[in-house]
Amino acid sequence: MKTLADLKKIREKAQEEMKLRGSSVRIKIVVGMGTSGIAMGAREVMKTFLEEISNRNLTDVIVTQTGEKGLSSLEPVVDLIEEDKPKVTYGNMTPDKVKKVVVEHIVNGRIVSDYVVATGN
Amino acid sequence: MQDISLHLLDIIENSVRAAAKNIKVRVIKDHKQNLLRVIVEDDGVGMDTGTLEMAQNPFYSSKEKRAKKVGLGIPLFKQNAELANGCFNMTSEPGFGTVLTADFELDHIDRMPLGNLKDTLLGVIIGHPDVDYQITLLSREKGREQSFHFSTAAIKEELGDIPLTYPDVIEYIDQSLQEGIQNTNMEVV
Repeated sequence: MKTLADLKKIREKAQEEMKLRGSSVRIKIVVGMGTSGIAMGAREVMKTFLEEISNRNLTDVIVTQTGEKGLSSLEPVVDLIEEDKPKVTYGNMTPDKVKKVVVEHIVNGRIVSDYVVATGN
Repeated sequence: MQDISLHLLDIIENSVRAAAKNIKVRVIKDHKQNLLRVIVEDDGVGMDTGTLEMAQNPFYSSKEKRAKKVGLGIPLFKQNAELANGCFNMTSEPGFGTVLTADFELDHIDRMPLGNLKDTLLGVIIGHPDVDYQITLLSREKGREQSFHFSTAAIKEELGDIPLTYPDVIEYIDQSLQEGIQNTNMEVV
């Protein structure tokens, strides 16, 4: 059974890490979770991001969900937002594409242009 | 939508878009009553009677600026509940929130599978860190009752300024939900 005592340990560990590395969020990932996105597999896309963050121990990335914004034919759609950089929107995402975006874009800082459907706002 | 857990995700996203801060999710599986019931209760902006009725119409969307005026989420969920000899009900009060209940006949041949509840719940909890969730899974089978309660407010309090996206926290929530789903015997596909 998971208990709140486990959380306390996690918090202590995380606070130690933050002292060393700072607590800044480098990249924000926003997964489109409207009806059409869900029907096209957005939940699996979200799940893969969470798995990759967990497996690769990425502590400066956050993931959120949002509604539709009129790109239904390109769903599932994901925005990557980095400070001081134009927003990058990836479309037609799949779990495999997510893994590639995590390695290339999030870890190595190279945009995966093949999957990009829009940039900027 | 292939299963109930995907509909549930869609409905929770509606609640979030209605500015809900607290969302209660209950899934009840009762073998004796041959019932599978999903309830989502939120404290969002709510709907007046007219909007409530329109929300069940596929050619209505609350997104006013959009050219394409369709909203299939609620009508499809309703249709799928009714296909399984169940019923679908929404009540709402402007300013107070909305309660949505979908009932399915548990052993109906056309009842869609429950699907992956864990991925739905994990996604909404981490994807909307400002929303507090109270999740209850309840199963009644052969006179035995198994239940699982999960409240995110206590977790966030314990974590303080550590984000829910912190790798170990993702794992913690994932495993907690997994245990709860297993203990209440909620099917996973």
